[in-house]
Amino acid sequence: MPKCSLLPRCTGLGAAVSLALLTLPLPGRADALYTLQTKCSLNGAAPVACTVEAVNEAAATLYHHRIGNQTITVRISDKPVRMALWNATSKQWQSLERAAALFSTNTVCFNGAALCVVNANYLNSVREDNPAAMARRDLVKVHFGGDGRINASCYDDGCGVVQK
Amino acid sequence: MTVLQRCSALVLLSSLVLPLSGAEGLAAGSGSRPEATAAQLLARGGGGGRMGGGGGGGGGRLGGGGGGFGGGGGRRAQTGFQGAGAGLNRGDARPTGGWSSRVGSDSARPSLDRSAINRDRQGLQQRQGDRLGSRDGSRPFNADDSRNLNRDFNTSVNRNWNRTVNVNNLNLSPGWARPGWGVARPWGYGWYGVSAVPAWGWWGARAATWGLATLTTAAIINNAVDNAIADNSTYIVVPNSSYQLLYGTVAPTSDSGISFDVTANGSTYQLSADCRAGTLNGQQPNTAAEAELLNAACQVAFGSA
Repeated sequence: MPKCSLLPRCTGLGAAVSLALLTLPLPGRADALYTLQTKCSLNGAAPVACTVEAVNEAAATLYHHRIGNQTITVRISDKPVRMALWNATSKQWQSLERAAALFSTNTVCFNGAALCVVNANYLNSVREDNPAAMARRDLVKVHFGGDGRINASCYDDGCGVVQK
Repeated sequence: MTVLQRCSALVLLSSLVLPLSGAEGLAAGSGSRPEATAAQLLARGGGGGRMGGGGGGGGGRLGGGGGGFGGGGGRRAQTGFQGAGAGLNRGDARPTGGWSSRVGSDSARPSLDRSAINRDRQGLQQRQGDRLGSRDGSRPFNADDSRNLNRDFNTSVNRNWNRTVNVNNLNLSPGWARPGWGVARPWGYGWYGVSAVPAWGWWGARAATWGLATLTTAAIINNAVDNAIADNSTYIVVPNSSYQLLYGTVAPTSDSGISFDVTANGSTYQLSADCRAGTLNGQQPNTAAEAELLNAACQVAFGSA
């Protein structure tokens, strides 16, 4: 039997392959985690209403902060933890310099006070993911090096120790 | 090999290879593979989880607790660095109770000012105290009160508390049971306890027989939970009783129903309550202590904090 005669017989299975391709968790697939109506603050200004949309996309979680007609997207990946901000002008991700969280106010801040948001969902997840490390912690700060990885982190009063 | 076998092999190969190649591509893109391997080695060195021995602790996807020098014990050497967690992570793991869709407190605002918390809390407690009043003899308390074993409070166990649980099997520290728990609760809250007098139909007559004017205020219960969290304690002592409410087990079952666990007389019971109807396991409270337990659990679940 000539090889070309195999093709029609494989057509059905070829469709199965295509179907498998469609259903596999391929890179780039986005899974919405939640949408949160909350408060945000930009550069230390007064808090304003905002919406946080958390989406899992490939190896990272994207946090879209919609404030009025502005959207600020922070990408957080792990192993190791990296945080980056989407620069809409350059169309590139820029590594954050630092991030901080204060559990008692349910606040997460990126790059100092450039963007602060009340996001208990994020902090509940962080807390539950590593309960031993987070027990009795309130303030958490991380600093990112030039390679985008965390090169310093501190808790509570310890943040005063490591601050320059 | 038959045609069918050849084609089946193709399908199988596609299924096996595609996810791997995708993952490798992502890892290469982020340059994360060497670091991830190192983190895994560190986690293995610590033993992780329950076998990890003393300080530092284990668990969690990132390899365990925060810094410090771990204690002895365990079958592997404690490096002291096995728990050097990053502090923050992706935050994509669904926490107990799920995701909230809105912040239920209008006063919640982003802030990293730790000193402001105490000022705000003191002000809130003062306002709540002014509004709700305070019964004679009520006082701020904390989990340390439970260590006073000489008190003579009602520790009766209602006969319809028939569901005992093993406390070791309970999740006593969900993600929301932490500093900021009032806003962190991933469900609707804020409607309970807005009036000094409970809206429960049975309250008036029964409270009179108990000699009660009001139940313990929201501020006192909130303060007890705050103190318990600060002390890393998993329970609060219910005011005017010896019931230990495992506050982290409080969870809504409906817009007014809750389930929770309480320890009394050495056993732990799983109870249900309806915070609008004022019932405990489907019944009106029989004692003032039961009413206080109901009130405390409802405040943790649905009160302002």
